[in-house]
Amino acid sequence: MNAEHPDALYVHIPFCRHICWYCDFCRTVYSEAQADAFLAALDKEFSLRKFSVQLDTIYVGGGTPTSLNERQLERLLQLLAPYAREVREYTVEINPETLSEEKAALLAEYGVNRASIGMQSSDAGLLKLMNRRHTFTDVQSCTERLQRHGIENFSLDLMYSLPGQTMKMLESSVEDALSLNPYHLSLYSLSIEENSVFGKRGYEALDEETEADMYEYICRRLQQAGYEHYETSNFARDGKRSLHNTVYWQYRDFYGAGCGASGKEGNVRYDLTRSLKEYIQDPLKRQDTVLTPQEQYFEALMMSLRLREGLDKARFFRMFGVSIDDVYRDEIAEECRRGMLVNTDERLYCTDRGWNLLNEILVDFIA
Amino acid sequence: MDQNHIRNFCIIAHIDHGKSTLADRILEMTDTVKERDMKAQILDEMELERERGITIKLNAVQLSYTAKNGEEYLFNLIDTPGHVDFSYEVSRSLAACEGAVLVVDATQGVQAQTLANTYLALDNDLEIIPVINKCDMPSARPDFVKQEIENIIGLDCSDAPEISARTGVNVDEVLEQIVEKIPAPGGRKDRPLQALVFDSFYDSYRGVIALVRIREGQLSVGDRIRFMATGAEYEVLEAGIRNPKEVPVRTLGCGDVGWFAASIKSIQDVQVGDTVTSAVKGAEDPLPGYKHMNPMVFCGFYPSDAARYGDLRDALDKLKLNDAALVYEPETSQALGFGFRCGFLGLLHMDVIEERLEREYGLDLIATAPSVIYHVYLSDGTMLAIDNPAKMPDASKIDRVEEPYVRAEIMCPDTYIGSVMELCQGKRGIYKDMQVIDAGRNSLVYELPLSEIIFDFFDRLKSCSKGYASLDYEVIGYRRNDLVRMDILLNGEQVDALSVIIHRSEAYARGSAITVKLKQLIPKQQFEIPVQAAIGGKVIARTNIKSLRKNVLAKCYGGDISRKKKLLEKQKEGKKRMKAVGSVIVPQEAFMAVLSMDSDER
Repeated sequence: MNAEHPDALYVHIPFCRHICWYCDFCRTVYSEAQADAFLAALDKEFSLRKFSVQLDTIYVGGGTPTSLNERQLERLLQLLAPYAREVREYTVEINPETLSEEKAALLAEYGVNRASIGMQSSDAGLLKLMNRRHTFTDVQSCTERLQRHGIENFSLDLMYSLPGQTMKMLESSVEDALSLNPYHLSLYSLSIEENSVFGKRGYEALDEETEADMYEYICRRLQQAGYEHYETSNFARDGKRSLHNTVYWQYRDFYGAGCGASGKEGNVRYDLTRSLKEYIQDPLKRQDTVLTPQEQYFEALMMSLRLREGLDKARFFRMFGVSIDDVYRDEIAEECRRGMLVNTDERLYCTDRGWNLLNEILVDFIA
Repeated sequence: MDQNHIRNFCIIAHIDHGKSTLADRILEMTDTVKERDMKAQILDEMELERERGITIKLNAVQLSYTAKNGEEYLFNLIDTPGHVDFSYEVSRSLAACEGAVLVVDATQGVQAQTLANTYLALDNDLEIIPVINKCDMPSARPDFVKQEIENIIGLDCSDAPEISARTGVNVDEVLEQIVEKIPAPGGRKDRPLQALVFDSFYDSYRGVIALVRIREGQLSVGDRIRFMATGAEYEVLEAGIRNPKEVPVRTLGCGDVGWFAASIKSIQDVQVGDTVTSAVKGAEDPLPGYKHMNPMVFCGFYPSDAARYGDLRDALDKLKLNDAALVYEPETSQALGFGFRCGFLGLLHMDVIEERLEREYGLDLIATAPSVIYHVYLSDGTMLAIDNPAKMPDASKIDRVEEPYVRAEIMCPDTYIGSVMELCQGKRGIYKDMQVIDAGRNSLVYELPLSEIIFDFFDRLKSCSKGYASLDYEVIGYRRNDLVRMDILLNGEQVDALSVIIHRSEAYARGSAITVKLKQLIPKQQFEIPVQAAIGGKVIARTNIKSLRKNVLAKCYGGDISRKKKLLEKQKEGKKRMKAVGSVIVPQEAFMAVLSMDSDER
């Protein structure tokens, strides 16, 4: 970990070919002209901000980075090339239907070594409900294409607790995903966001009981298939955890670049403007939040407890100069008594029950 | 003005038949001040009075009217409260008059409160002037309604004015009839003072202002007076009338209607219906008809934020200044903390107070289910008046329990008789009588436990009759019933604020409904929570709130932290607003469950 500079970089590409109905991220429908203007602004942002080139991970997310056309994608990759030299993990998010042969070749050429693919489900009806425009076959050919170009390490995103989804549907999606033998899987239960199309149209996720059943099934099945359940919603085999996302969960610093991105450097979190228009005018336009020590302690806890291994107490002490046991003595004791947390000399982590009820724990840590 | 040219009257009507509109029109048509000026004046004055913290009630207004015979008359128009809860207050306002203008809607005809108010007026020997309103409406049937009034009430309607209070058509006829038909006030000014108190309000500068009708004698500034029922004595400091502006006078003469102030600090001293007489040369007897008003409906008010207990007390103290019928005393609930048990004349009165506490004083309240006063006779012969179910003694010590009954008169069209009867039957009503009043309309008489009336009876009556049924009721006494206390237990702990007193035959159904409702309202928690309804330790209904299995953010990455943290903070706020009952966190709505379940669950 570099103490002076973040060693992780997140780049947000706010374009999509179609808007998914569960999404409330910073996204807009792709237009070539706007994407060009965005890339010019991104270029400007990079030249002004002077990021460290000694990075360990880069993550290009969105939106849909592969919604850019080939020329634009190359421009983006060229822009990032100086920062990518030493990275161990270079991830790009991909929507299966937008990855052409050329784009796959470009990614490989510029050193991208990990892909995160939005599969969501293999059920045609559910995909349609989410306004997604691909089929499971698209996912299949997408992974094959990546593999042909040498990008072996890919992750699949799946969703559950979708309106109308049955356990059967979930099971076959999980089996379909496993048939592609991904190194990594993210399984998210649907949360209805106010600003998403689902939110605006009054859709509802499934009841808590069914959601819990689905979650239990997922944990059981993936474990059985040899995946390590290392974060609440993330599973990896053969040690291929997401290095970049682990930076977030360990509450380490990271750069954020691109319209709508956030970053954290020391006690400052910043949010770049979510308005594409504003970003194009001034890519440095951002809002800074100075975090108090108390806020940072809580955020560190909130992120770390998502990891199976929990919070590394030595790291916490190195970061803040206080011990987590001193900050939250009573709260920790109470949660341990209730069987929600386990506190050892090295780590503070959730019991199985506590892991499923993490919000309940965290709420008790809020003053 | 000599006594012969005074006319004291009020306007009576069923709700929405046009009482206020007619009053407005009469104000406009009689006042010597021009229409536009009058409005401005009233508004100015209200603005001023609001600043001084007075609640504006146009309780009694004096108007001058030049009749067609060329003579000038003084009209005192006395306002009456418009709801069945306040029938005693209505009757005292009526007692201050010699006549009443009975307004009947030409599209709706006679309704329950038309009848109830007319009977109150007849009880007080008033001359009644029937007036058919809303004759400008396309669906108006004035002749039919007149016939109806003659048939049902027996009032001669041959020259009843057909008016539109809205447009003012024929309102002058009403004014003429007031002059012609309503007798001038009797009484002699040389007799000992007898003044009827028909209303009062609190003014933060002058104390309680009493509104009175001088029946005998006269009342002057400087007089020492005595309230005959309460015995309180004061010196009159100010007296006056309203026109509608406050106008001070030296003396209120015999037959006059006006107000006086005497530095009265407590509204308790000024009871509606009491007689004011001279403290020096008093009348021998008070005027008839005084009743001490007892609250009929009780409930607990608790601040949802315990820190605002003091604010709630101050707010109740202030409301009490203007409302002699409101009673309250401190009460402690294990579940809800510190609050007050409050007594009201009826359900509407309760609603009004609750709304004023919330709106005018910014309080967020938890109200427990309303209760009546039960008479609990113990085996040793003593009687306890129980207004809070939680205070009901152990069943083994009880010999019998009695509850208040009302005689309810419901008027409704043929079509709805079945559903109204079903409602009354379901509310333990005893059928007494049914009369066909005219084609298609009926009057149903039931005796019902008051406790059933205060439980959403109005709402259900309205909904089962599509709004056509109207209700009037009076309390007729106490009756013995098989009444038991039903407790609600959460995770084995009794929740005092949820206990209800209930007829044994209904306990099972209600217990099941309440437990199911609570299951819906109480969020799942980290452990399973049994929800039970029990009578004297015997569980009669039970359900379980399953333990929460999953509550974790689906995704939380670098860019999500602030947003997700806010989400957790919101959850925390929500939790803070709930009440901890033992180890169970209960949302405030749950305490209202017993209130709302009737309409939802059946």
